[in-house]
Parts: sequence; structure tokens; C-alpha cells
Amino acid sequence: MSEFAIVHRSALAPAPRVASHRIAIIALPEGHVVQVFERAPGADLLAVLADAAGTAPHAVRTAGPGQWFIVGDEPLPRDTFLDLANALGPHAATVDQSHGRVRIRVEGTVVERMLAKGTAIDLDIGAFPVGHSAATLLGHVSVHLTRLDATAFEIMVLRGFASSLWEGLERMSAEFG
Amino acid sequence: MASLISCPHCGARPKEEFTIKGAVLPRPDAGAGSEAWMDYVYRRDNPRGAYREYWHHTSGCRRWLVVTRDTASHEVAACQDAALAKRAEAQP
Ligand SMILES: [Zn+2]
Repeated sequence: MSEFAIVHRSALAPAPRVASHRIAIIALPEGHVVQVFERAPGADLLAVLADAAGTAPHAVRTAGPGQWFIVGDEPLPRDTFLDLANALGPHAATVDQSHGRVRIRVEGTVVERMLAKGTAIDLDIGAFPVGHSAATLLGHVSVHLTRLDATAFEIMVLRGFASSLWEGLERMSAEFG
Repeated sequence: MASLISCPHCGARPKEEFTIKGAVLPRPDAGAGSEAWMDYVYRRDNPRGAYREYWHHTSGCRRWLVVTRDTASHEVAACQDAALAKRAEAQP
């Protein structure tokens, strides 16, 4: 047994929200992030993943060939994670990344213009519809982007880059304040 | 233009998202001898024109790709997933 208790600290405390009338940057709860890797290439796992992930919208995100993230706002107790891993076991390997990745919501009427300062991908809703995900560079930081609705995206980032990315997002949003 | 690479999984992305490993060469057998390994590890033709290279989509899908590009004009002729291309070659 460890001689001291491990204390969970939020990566982005204590200022998890910046907002103006056109753009808002909001730190999402550090709930759960589960990375999923298919066992056999080419199997269509979307139905299995949707079943395992529950009913929250956009809980399953694509992350390249044969890889997905299952995300949510609630922490995932060990037993619940093991149930999920067992349910997916025949089809996919699962890794609990809840401690390692942080999610930030950005929203507002100018959200594409703000994000376009950092990434080269086409964020127009025709090319990047609601529910679509992409791994890309935002400035010099690797992120995983998901469109949540017409004027909102979620950015998932490795925990150690979260506060640096947050400062970048603030600077990218400054002109819209 | 080589500054935009069309990843077969992600679409057109800037070259900053990729890491280039270098020429696509057949790997010698473990016991092939120091001359063959010297060739494989160090010696390159550095051609002017068509060149096949391994590119890793580091800040995207994280897949290894085979990019065929022209070293003079920077035009990209083809971009394939390395593992899928190899699998297709193995079972024609
Ligand atoms: Zn890619």
C-alpha cells in the first residue's frame, strides 16, 4: 500500500471558463476517456461500440482506422470499466485513458474562424458535420476534434498539453472578445 | 505540392502533421552480411524525380503511409497505407 493518498487535481483548474458573446472556452468535467483498438482489421464495430457506450450523444468518436474513443462526463469506476472491457473483449482491446486526456468545449458563432488559426482541416459543416471527429494539429499540439453541434466543437488533448492549449485558445479567441 | 499530403484515412493534411522516415527499401535478411546492411541503413541514391518514402501521420491517424512524390517538382503521385498496401501485395 502507498503511504500517501493520490489526490486527483483538475488539469485546468482554477479558471475553467472564458466567454464572450461570440466565443466560449469551457473545460469539461474530467469524466472518462476509453481508447478502443479493434482486434481484427476491417470488422464493423460501430453497433457494438454504441451498445457499450450508452446513450449520451457523440459518446463514440472515430480516431483513425480501427480506433475509437468512448467519452463521457462521469468518472468511470474500476468495475464499470472492467464491464465495458469485457463487453468489448471479443472485438477490441480497451485502455482507460481517463487520467491522461482532457476535454475542452469551444463554442460560438465564430468557432470555425478561431479554430482555423490552428488547424488546416476544413471545418465547414458540409465537410465536418455534427458527430464527425478528426485527429489533427492545433498549432504545435496534437488534438482530437469532434463537432458537437453547428457552433460547438470538443477538443481532446493529452493532459500535459492542456494548460498550454488553453492559453493558445485564449489568444486565438482574443480578437472576438 | 508535397506540403499537402492526401492521407488515405484523413484527407489532405499539411506536411507538419507527418514525420518522414525515408526511402521505401526491402529489408535484408538478418544474416545478409555487412555490405547489404550498409546499403540498407546508409546508402541512398538521392534521385531527382520519383521517390517512394515512408511517412508517418504522427499528428493524425498515426498510420504509416507510402508516399510517392517527385523530389524536383514536389508533386505527389500516390499515397497509400503501408500495411494495407503490403497486405494487398501478399494476397493478390
Ligand atoms: Zn492520416
